[in-house]
Amino acid sequence: MSGLDAPTPARDVADTRLLDATIGLARRNFVNLTRLPSAFLPALIMPIVQSIAFSGTFFAIIQLPGFPTDRSINWFLPLAVLMGCGFAGVGLGFSAIRDLEGGFHDRLRLTPAPRLSLVVGPMASAMIRAVIATTTVVIVGTVFGARLVHGPLGLLPLYLAGIGISVIGAGWALGLAFRFRDMRAAAIMQLTLFLALFLTEAQTPSFVIEGWLDGVVRVNPFNNILRLARLGWLDPDMTWSDTWGGLVAISALGAFTTAFARRGLATLSDQ
Amino acid sequence: MSTTVAGTEPGGTATDGRATLSPSVSAQIVAMSRRAILALARQPALVIPSMIFPLFFAALGTSAFSRATRVPGFPEVDSYLDFALAGAIAQGVLFGSTVGATALATDIENGFFDRLLSSPTSRVAIIVGRMAGGMAYGALQTLVFVLVLLPFGLSVKGGLPGVAALIVSGTVLALAVGALMSAMAIRTGSSEATQGAFPLLFIALFFSSSFFPRETMSGVYATIADWNPISHLVEGMRDLVIEGFTASAALRATLIPAAIAVATIALALRALRRRLGAT
Repeated sequence: MSGLDAPTPARDVADTRLLDATIGLARRNFVNLTRLPSAFLPALIMPIVQSIAFSGTFFAIIQLPGFPTDRSINWFLPLAVLMGCGFAGVGLGFSAIRDLEGGFHDRLRLTPAPRLSLVVGPMASAMIRAVIATTTVVIVGTVFGARLVHGPLGLLPLYLAGIGISVIGAGWALGLAFRFRDMRAAAIMQLTLFLALFLTEAQTPSFVIEGWLDGVVRVNPFNNILRLARLGWLDPDMTWSDTWGGLVAISALGAFTTAFARRGLATLSDQ
Repeated sequence: MSTTVAGTEPGGTATDGRATLSPSVSAQIVAMSRRAILALARQPALVIPSMIFPLFFAALGTSAFSRATRVPGFPEVDSYLDFALAGAIAQGVLFGSTVGATALATDIENGFFDRLLSSPTSRVAIIVGRMAGGMAYGALQTLVFVLVLLPFGLSVKGGLPGVAALIVSGTVLALAVGALMSAMAIRTGSSEATQGAFPLLFIALFFSSSFFPRETMSGVYATIADWNPISHLVEGMRDLVIEGFTASAALRATLIPAAIAVATIALALRALRRRLGAT
């Protein structure tokens, strides 16, 4: 049979392959999670320790006039969730580096799997990790005194923000991994995410912040995501005006980091 | 070859098992310290985070918590920066000491440690040299933190004697933490395990008064912070900054880490004896 007579259904197969390959790669990352738990445990333990340690150390800040909650753990738990979810996403960048160094990524690129699945697959895995991390931190946080102020609905923005930040973290980390191709990228992945999350109302609300940080907080889109995550845990009502900014930030940063990862993969494939 | 801590002295003269601080041992300690310092200087990517992060947190805290200094229980301070300096020093030294211990674990992993043991080098020099490198770095960190934060409004009420006491405190704390992490490195022989112990230091730091006064904490956090020796040494350092140089503050800032160092050096030497016994 000549090449011109090749079966036409191949295009249909290609259409379904993106989803299949994405699910397959997400499943592989999930299996790796159970086989190498030490790679994910820090992203699980760190936010728990952080929320407990911060709420204990900075307990007194709730005494500031106008502070939006009377429980310090309600203030710090969403920050810890975002940290955990962000680092869960960054962990996929570490996996990509291991695959690149071990040659497995070369074999992946030789398969007929659509290129986009090599980005979307790990991102799907990051979402699963984010759900696990968020659920764990919420359960432990509740044991330590955290309370949802507006009922179970308050969990929705927290999960949205957590999943969003995990996708952003994964996209950013994959993009760096594809460009650096070794563990030098690891420090940059962690440091940038850490800075982006701490240069917000991470520790105190904006009306308490003074000096240089105030200006940074106003322009940092991660602050909108943090506000979204905190909606269900603070006394003020959950309103759309406090919600949409976070959703826009997640969408914009998610699109940017996905494109960043996709372009990084393209340069890798050109080698 | 003897497998005691003192072991065989240079030149092949067997000792009775106790370390004798002959000039040659001192020279070895100096050489090993020099190697440790050069190793840190040649890999700035490893040590820069322990220099940058404490400064970043001090700057962040000064902006975020400046109004929080008005809450009941907070000591009288000109700014949160004055309050934060001691915590920044403790944080930097804790982070930096992990780097030195990880380098020791790497020496064990790649076989350099075994080559040192098989050479006529004093066992004490191998360990003390590594710790001396960490101590020099701890002193440098303390000085750099003070010098960098001075233009941003830091005021050390203890003056030059206060700064000198802070440097001594940072140096001895580096010895204490370096010895603890070295014990971990020698015992496990794994740089990953040594790095993995770092979160314990993080927890010890946050469950102390490094970033906020104990008087503002409540419940179990306050109890843990009361019992945590880091709280007391940090408060000694802090008093040198916000109250001025007093014998009480200087003694707390130096004797508490010294006491910890005695215990952790004993741990490190015990771990070394075990490793030598095992080999």
